[in-house]
Amino acid sequence: MTGPLAGRTILVTGAGRGLGRGVALACAAADADVVVASPRENGAETVAAIEARGGSGAWTRCDATDPADVEAAVAAAVERNGALDVVIHNATSRRSSEPVQLEDVDDALWHEHASVSLDGTFYCAQAALPYLRARRGRLILMTSPAGIEGSAMLPGYATVKGAIRGFAKSLAREWAPFGVTVNAISPLAETPAMTSAYEKDPTLEERLARVVPMGHLGDPETEIAPAVVFLAGEGAGYITGQTLAVDGGRFMTL
Amino acid sequence: MLTGRVVLVTGGEVGIGRAIALGLEDAHATVAVVDGDFASRDETAAAFARARESVGPVDAVVHAFVDPAALTSEPLAETAAADWERRCEAVLRAALHCCQAGGREMAARGGRLVLVTPTIALTGAAGLVPYATAVEGMRALAKSAARQWGPRRITVNCVAPPVELMAPDHASGPAGLALTDRPLGDPDARVDVAPVVALLAADAGHLVTGATIPVDGGIVMAP
Repeated sequence: MTGPLAGRTILVTGAGRGLGRGVALACAAADADVVVASPRENGAETVAAIEARGGSGAWTRCDATDPADVEAAVAAAVERNGALDVVIHNATSRRSSEPVQLEDVDDALWHEHASVSLDGTFYCAQAALPYLRARRGRLILMTSPAGIEGSAMLPGYATVKGAIRGFAKSLAREWAPFGVTVNAISPLAETPAMTSAYEKDPTLEERLARVVPMGHLGDPETEIAPAVVFLAGEGAGYITGQTLAVDGGRFMTL
Repeated sequence: MLTGRVVLVTGGEVGIGRAIALGLEDAHATVAVVDGDFASRDETAAAFARARESVGPVDAVVHAFVDPAALTSEPLAETAAADWERRCEAVLRAALHCCQAGGREMAARGGRLVLVTPTIALTGAAGLVPYATAVEGMRALAKSAARQWGPRRITVNCVAPPVELMAPDHASGPAGLALTDRPLGDPDARVDVAPVVALLAADAGHLVTGATIPVDGGIVMAP
């Protein structure tokens, strides 16, 4: 075991599919022991894929909107190796890519977004802190280009993704004395959520490609996840409070 | 500058909301204060409609309301779930409801929406994680509304004072965030923040949208 994440235990929420799956696979390929948190059996499929490639991981059933589930997932991770080094809160509402007029964001849709992206972030941070503190660990959150520059199509999603950046910046300041870093990644990934957005709006893919300098959406495992592996790894301990855009140049930092 | 303009100000009874309301009156606007906690979409819409009935069609909305509880400084690890809800999510929901109600009021004639978001949205703040999370979310909400409502001639912007100014009484602001040395001195909400809000509500501001303008005497200089 000599990969860049060897000896590290990493918890990834929403790792049953999409970007979270890609991140879990990449962390395992870097020799981390990966705890795949997912509310559904697809978490076991991610673990099967990890093991098929010779990596190590386990699925824990976890709904990130439920604090008891999140605490249990953290406990399951700690149980494996006696420590937890990195938490990656990647889960997002299944309604994330549903276009909506702002005036139609009702209590139910708001709760969908807020329960995963805001409450889930809060629960992950609270449950993980004692362990992250012990290991000078890392909390990595997923924001979005929409959270940075707003989105006419996805105003509710953009709002909670923007909020995650505020969380990362503030908690980075709060936890820096513990040696724990808190960062956000802003991916533009080819995921099932994006695929379903394409289905709803067939012109989206072409329009998106036009505004992405690299001309395509990123592959979760090979183009987005390596940045996550970097932030989780040895060399990133002095990087905190940042939003790392891994978006093909969609948003260029001011 | 705002003669004949009708402006609704949320949270306009106290603190920075009141100072902005007075400052907009200084600029000759007709100001109506909308009170409440904006926890309910329907009640927020009704409160905005009542204000419109009393002062006439709305040209601008300023969301300056903040629950003082949001300014409580406490480590996140020690924050109870109910306090997280009140300091973060309730703040964001109030902003969402006021944007929705304001957008509805101004849908036919266009207008200006201004959210007051302290600079901790940009910088982050230890001890204020829930509120800083909410206000950075408010900035993304403003940008999203700005993009969606541009075709309706509604602009949406944020004005960012130092967080101390968000407390009903500045002296009761978050501990450890006392006013520091500012290149241009300490801002006053009525004298310094309100005129920037007024500019965004005036004719001259019609192409400014999705922006955040810090009014903090030069502490935060965005990249």
